[in-house]
Amino acid sequence: MDIIDFSSSRILFTLIVILLKVAVVIGLAMLHVAYATYFERKVIGHMQVRMGPMRVGFHGILQPIADGVKLFFKEDVLPAEADKWIFRISPVIPLFAAISSLAVVPFFEGFVVANINVGLLYIIALSSLGAYGIAMAGWSSNSKYSFLGGLRSSAQVISYEIAIGLSLVGVMIMSGSLNLTEIVQSQQGYWHGMFLFPQFIGYFIFLVAAFAETNRAPFDLPEAESELVAGYITEYSGMKFAFFFAAEYIGMIIMSAIAVICFWGGWTVPPIILRALPFLSVVPGIVWFMGKIYFHIFLYYWIRATLPRYRYDQLMSLGWKFLIPLALVNIVVTSIVKFFWQ
Amino acid sequence: MTIKDIVKKVFLVEILQGMALTLKMMFSRAITRQYPEEKRAPFPGFRGLHALVRNQDGTARCVGCGLCSAVCPSKCIYVYTSEGADHTKVVDRYEIEVLRCVYCALCVEACPFGAVVLTEHYEYSDYSREAFYMNKEKLLSNWDRFMAGKKGEEYFKRFWRPLSSDFGSPEDQPVLRGKDKGRGIQ
Repeated sequence: MDIIDFSSSRILFTLIVILLKVAVVIGLAMLHVAYATYFERKVIGHMQVRMGPMRVGFHGILQPIADGVKLFFKEDVLPAEADKWIFRISPVIPLFAAISSLAVVPFFEGFVVANINVGLLYIIALSSLGAYGIAMAGWSSNSKYSFLGGLRSSAQVISYEIAIGLSLVGVMIMSGSLNLTEIVQSQQGYWHGMFLFPQFIGYFIFLVAAFAETNRAPFDLPEAESELVAGYITEYSGMKFAFFFAAEYIGMIIMSAIAVICFWGGWTVPPIILRALPFLSVVPGIVWFMGKIYFHIFLYYWIRATLPRYRYDQLMSLGWKFLIPLALVNIVVTSIVKFFWQ
Repeated sequence: MTIKDIVKKVFLVEILQGMALTLKMMFSRAITRQYPEEKRAPFPGFRGLHALVRNQDGTARCVGCGLCSAVCPSKCIYVYTSEGADHTKVVDRYEIEVLRCVYCALCVEACPFGAVVLTEHYEYSDYSREAFYMNKEKLLSNWDRFMAGKKGEEYFKRFWRPLSSDFGSPEDQPVLRGKDKGRGIQ
């Protein structure tokens, strides 16, 4: 797919394959978004000793579909004092950024929509682009809650994307590449097959920063429901609300995917396990990849059910005074180790 | 800061303990009840919807003395009586505004004949206020629906006994007993 031959039938074939891949990835991502909401409610419900959705279908299994239908037919409210065009455009930006990030994620060996060499940078860039949509939504709603939510989101994303970038530098140094497929393949060179072990500090920083970057608990200050009603989405309803919602959940999937690719060896199994249990090589790579992603998404829910929300100044001091220095130390140590031992 | 504190902070011990707890709770049984399917049986003596007691012969036990109406703290009981044939008292209307009731059951305690009771029934939500304005027929049908037969008798013994039967004068004490003595509870 990388070399485009300009004879017409070849280019058509390539185009069709790419479009099919795009359709499969977006379709599966949207399905995952729908059921991520369902499992979030179920998991948090059971952690709080209640049952979660139980009404629509067996144990509420059709709840996301009912929610989708409801959101689709809901009245689309446009606040009278809103900046109308920015209000209309802003839900698209986070969703666009989130879906575009899926393009460079390698789901298994050889399956990636766009195998580009700056994949990691591309994802980091797009994930911060989504914050513009949130800031614009907060500003254009012309409501104090939305405005505060938008401000918080922009400040939070600016502080934490430094930490998220720096935490991945260790991975970049170890693998020597920004191409996500090559990052996965380089991890196979180690007996443990995961950068999780040498880069455990980077992984920890990445996780914390990813929670903040996707505006999830305990860093869900932009939409803190106990203080800001719903933050930047206060004035949104219907499909515009659904766009923000979908963007947040795809963002979670993207962040989980980066964590899996950069620290958990992507679709591969650690060589030491494969040597001990050779029959595991029969299992297709997508199973390992999705399993690892599901674990990370579960981690999001688990943390949300456990930790209370951070105060705003605590959030900022955690980012600037703790995570960024720690990430810098991690980079220095990784560089020294790499320079002298490899 | 001791070494223990530092270790606690660096390895996020307390957060991990919290996460272990939430994970443990995830596999415990939910304590919530799936309400319309799983109903909770009311405790004995629960004070729910009002009813007027119907005698064995089908007549209402209420004599229209109006004590319930007088004692009611939210003043939601209206009793209208008139003089019937043979100078007897006839209860024309007996009405309870259920939406104003506070379910104190003082009317039940005050009634010398045990004629007004609070049944165990608690699922009577409706869409209009009129549905909660109980007249005599509705109150009597409440009795037929929820408390007729053995259950009502049992409840009289346990919860609805007129308090006058506990605090009455001893039989050998000379008091003025009306000609209607014995008309109430047998």
